[in-house]
Amino acid sequence: MLLRPSLPSFVVIGVITIIGCERRGGCTGANCGTLINAAVAEPGTLLPPSSEDIVANDINEQLFLKLADVGMSENTLGDEDFQPLLAQKWEWDGPLTLVFHLDPRARWHDGAPVTAADVEFTFNAYTDSAVGSPFRPKLRRIASVTQRDSLSAVFRFRERYPEMFYDAVYHMRILPAHLLRPVPRDQWRTAAFGRKPIGSGPYKFVSWQPAQAIELVADSTFFLGRPGVRRLIWRFTPNLQVAVQQVIADQADIREQLVTPENVERARATPQLSVYTYRGNVYTYLTFNERSQEDTTKAHPLFADRELRRALSMAVDRASLLKSALDGLAKVPPGPMSALLWIWDPDIRQLPYDTAQADRRLNALGWRDHDGDGVRDKNGQPLSFHILVPTSSVLRRQYARLLQEQFRAVGVRIEIDELEPSVVNQRVATGKFDAAILSRSNDPSPSSGIAQTWTRAGFGGSNFGRYYSPEFERVVDLAVTAASRDKAKPLWRAAMETLNADAPAIFLYALDNVAAVHKRVDNVQLRPDSWAAVLRTWRIPPDRLIDRDRVER
Amino acid sequence: MTVAAWLLRRLVASIAIIVAVVTFVFILIHLAPGRPCGGRDEIVDPTICEQVNRQMGFDRPILEQYGLYLVALAHGNLGYSFSLRRPVRDAIDDTLPFTLQLAGVALVLDFLLGLALGIYQARRANRLPDVILGNVTLFVYSLPTFWLALLLLLVFGEKLAWFPVGGPSDPVLCPVIDSAFCVADRLWHLVLPATTLGLVGAAGTARFQRAAMLAVASQDYIRTARAKGVPERRVVLHHQLRNALLSFITRFGLALPFLLTGAVLIETIFAWPGMGRLGFEAILTRDYPLVTATALIASTIVVAGNLVADLLLGVADPRLRVRAAEDLDIVTA
Amino acid sequence: MTLGTWFALGVALVLAAEFVRALRQRGLRQRGERWRRFFRHRTTAWGLGILTFLVIVAVAAPLIAPFDPNRQLDIIQLKNQAPSWTFLLGTDVLSRDVWSRAVYGARVSLGIGALGALMAVSLGTLVGAIAGYYQRWVDAVLMRGVDVGLALPRIFILLMAVALWDGLPFAALVIVIGLTSWFGTSRLVRSEVLALRQQDFVVAARALGAQSGRIIFRHVLPNAAAPIIVSAALSVGNVLLLEASLSFLGIGIKPPDPTWGNMIADNAPSIYSAPWSTIVPGLAIALVVMSLNAVADGVQEALDPHEREPA
Repeated sequence: MLLRPSLPSFVVIGVITIIGCERRGGCTGANCGTLINAAVAEPGTLLPPSSEDIVANDINEQLFLKLADVGMSENTLGDEDFQPLLAQKWEWDGPLTLVFHLDPRARWHDGAPVTAADVEFTFNAYTDSAVGSPFRPKLRRIASVTQRDSLSAVFRFRERYPEMFYDAVYHMRILPAHLLRPVPRDQWRTAAFGRKPIGSGPYKFVSWQPAQAIELVADSTFFLGRPGVRRLIWRFTPNLQVAVQQVIADQADIREQLVTPENVERARATPQLSVYTYRGNVYTYLTFNERSQEDTTKAHPLFADRELRRALSMAVDRASLLKSALDGLAKVPPGPMSALLWIWDPDIRQLPYDTAQADRRLNALGWRDHDGDGVRDKNGQPLSFHILVPTSSVLRRQYARLLQEQFRAVGVRIEIDELEPSVVNQRVATGKFDAAILSRSNDPSPSSGIAQTWTRAGFGGSNFGRYYSPEFERVVDLAVTAASRDKAKPLWRAAMETLNADAPAIFLYALDNVAAVHKRVDNVQLRPDSWAAVLRTWRIPPDRLIDRDRVER
Repeated sequence: MTVAAWLLRRLVASIAIIVAVVTFVFILIHLAPGRPCGGRDEIVDPTICEQVNRQMGFDRPILEQYGLYLVALAHGNLGYSFSLRRPVRDAIDDTLPFTLQLAGVALVLDFLLGLALGIYQARRANRLPDVILGNVTLFVYSLPTFWLALLLLLVFGEKLAWFPVGGPSDPVLCPVIDSAFCVADRLWHLVLPATTLGLVGAAGTARFQRAAMLAVASQDYIRTARAKGVPERRVVLHHQLRNALLSFITRFGLALPFLLTGAVLIETIFAWPGMGRLGFEAILTRDYPLVTATALIASTIVVAGNLVADLLLGVADPRLRVRAAEDLDIVTA
Repeated sequence: MTLGTWFALGVALVLAAEFVRALRQRGLRQRGERWRRFFRHRTTAWGLGILTFLVIVAVAAPLIAPFDPNRQLDIIQLKNQAPSWTFLLGTDVLSRDVWSRAVYGARVSLGIGALGALMAVSLGTLVGAIAGYYQRWVDAVLMRGVDVGLALPRIFILLMAVALWDGLPFAALVIVIGLTSWFGTSRLVRSEVLALRQQDFVVAARALGAQSGRIIFRHVLPNAAAPIIVSAALSVGNVLLLEASLSFLGIGIKPPDPTWGNMIADNAPSIYSAPWSTIVPGLAIALVVMSLNAVADGVQEALDPHEREPA
């Protein structure tokens, strides 16, 4: 039987024909290649000190350089393991003074040389309260940065401690003073520069299609070596599942985080993808608010009670939850840390999972089911509280439901409040919650993050549950100032055990990161604290180029 | 009433409606809990929040903010989006074309497919093809659009890989549309989202069209025409179709709110950089100016659509003019 | 699935079929022409049967569901199980029985649908009747209000209004949906009332000095029943779809209680490995909306004398 052609079939054939006729040829050789990254969020700005989001950080790794950076070892103590970037070399000039010598070959993408004036300008901007950079607290121990000559920048510290070098180089990306000086500091969050940045990194900014994509192109004259891949495209997709689908359907090359076991399985089953596992830098926990919702100076009716928190912690089978939701893609954190941190140690003492003991302790505290409704009560008040979860996180929503069932089994009633991220954000920051499932990312050093989130220094900041233990703070202070890892490790361990015994939170999971990258890419290195940090070394061998690598535009 | 006077009255009423919409949305979004701040997911330092709020003037009394907003609006200034860190106007300029493209293609599909099915069914009323199609359209009409979107994406995007998985264009070949190839590429990317949106609409249109044509068919003048021996083809084309089209034009005005509502979900699922997604994300981040502006644009489109439908109706049938629009449109709402 | 639940399911099916059959026969005997027209299309009877069945299922959920819908049976061994004789429709990502959740979900979903639609239609009818009956400025004010309501992108309003509550209670969801869904009905009722107002029996009642309220409720509205019933049936479906959309966007009934909408939303991420837990609730929604449309068609045919199909 003959097929009768119809209008729709003409359209389809036409489209296929046009796509088929796409020009071949184009780029050949070693430095071709286009990598499309399926990103799940769009940055607000690409001006480094003002950008808080992860995707902006990934892109800025390509556009802007630090003076030096941690190596794949992630060692943050001393300076031996650091890789030179903008700074060619450095030396100590006395115990509190560090001098960086800039690489004379370094250029801004507009052609101007990178100078020590830029370094001085950058430090002043990062520490200016008008800019409001989230990195500002991390630079508090650096007193000043000045220029000695046009290629030498001098850092002066307030005190001597093991991670001085790390603080000097890790948090700041050097900015072009000649372009940013005219922009008023209180308008940096919204500066036009942030949408059309000019940096000194291996890639140059090309275009930003709002809500669609950001495109970068390799700087072929980059002073540390020409990047292996010619074009980088960040493609924005509001939905993780669709982002994963794009990589699977070969419409994107990189998804640096697959998150769920199901996605990993699908990626493994996809012929053109390679799957890479690297240490995660995020941990997720259920935090108890120890202060009253109405007034943060008053005690919370439930969670100010250390014994109750301990009993609740023992009621949660973290290992099973992990197996159910993440099946080998994560670990149970032995405290407030991700696997990225070198202080990670599964032998750190934690409260056991023991429902019998939890039951005994709750009974001893007077929380018994007097009225037989399945929920414990005391003085007529049921043992019930709300858990705050942002609607944006599939995994945390799933965990909330799992926890609800776990607590139900020991007679504790949970109400899950799933709210928009902006509302969760506000309530958590102002202390208006009972308990919340939160995620935090670590930078490679335990010193800044743990102190910020679990000591008094974090009240009003990221210590949302307002946990306070004088003993914990004493040991942390010792650990931060210890001269070597060997000396610091037992101190950190003691601090973590103190914290775990107080049960300010239940540490639920620390994800292992699993990335899917197209098979044709060689030398795929993912640095755990920032996967895109060494993207410039990725290569596509000339014999493996595919159509989208060759396209000239 | 002359056409000019009628038009003037409708225009004034339309503007009043839009102002009322803006007012309502303005009040509602300011009442909603949650504070405008930085981005989507991360917890922003409270001091930065306060800084943003002060800069944007969100700490002032709501009446003052409303007054300032209206004044700015009168000057064509839609305000500044702190979550996108750019003028609202720019964000709308970037996203509106995508929503219009999506809605436009979906609308064409809706009408072409819906009309064709409806006419076909009406001509074979109560016979087997009509019964089968009737059940199919009823089923499709009843599907949740986002659920259909998920399934289509799974089957045609990932499993069969016939169509692209989300996004408006190939980011390598066509970051901007500058050639015939890129137009084809855009249409290619539109297939799944527009089909999802248009299919459900088409099922509704088919049902509506069939009923309308049958209603007309039983009227006297059609019977007379048939009795006089006018060829069936002519009866259908000239009489039935023409009259059915009248009621159909009103559906056009109604399809717009449906498409815009659907666009929020479809654009989010298919990573389509349109205004629906923009508005949704603006609500999540409590980006007051952006929320108000998207509501303003969306309601303008709806109101303008109704106005156009009424005008067309007046052109198509002078007898009907104003009343028909008000009576007919609800049957399918 | 135990023998008991199969039995209960069978009883529900038979009851629904029997109900429709009885209704049809008694109706035909006693009320004649209208009922014949109502049941003329087989789809109407089917729709009515399906709705009856689902209502019975919802009411008798504890008998028909083999498991506690919220119980996580075994979060490691039994998650995402494919459909089997034990788990008729499989289990979801949290190892809950999908069939039991769908059955209990019918309660909440149909409840929201019915209550939301009831609220929307009552409000719409009231406003429409008042506007149509009193006309003049009352009409002008109310109808301009309706214009505004119709011009608002409803999903925006819902998203914002819903945010006013922390963790949405059932009643709040119904109220919000009801308050944003009545505009169409009110226009429809208004135009019916406008037409009826001119009819002799209304004019006569007014001449006899009957009170306005009495005229509206005793004389006008009963004669506008057809479009109101139709619009009510369609509203239920719309509310169901709306609840599902809101759940998908992360707003809806609190966990762990199942609704068809939040079942889709919760399981959409595992659609690749366990599609049943997403497809089932979606089909359930489609089935209800479809049945309601079919019934609405029947009502329209039965009560609306203008629309007759050619013989």
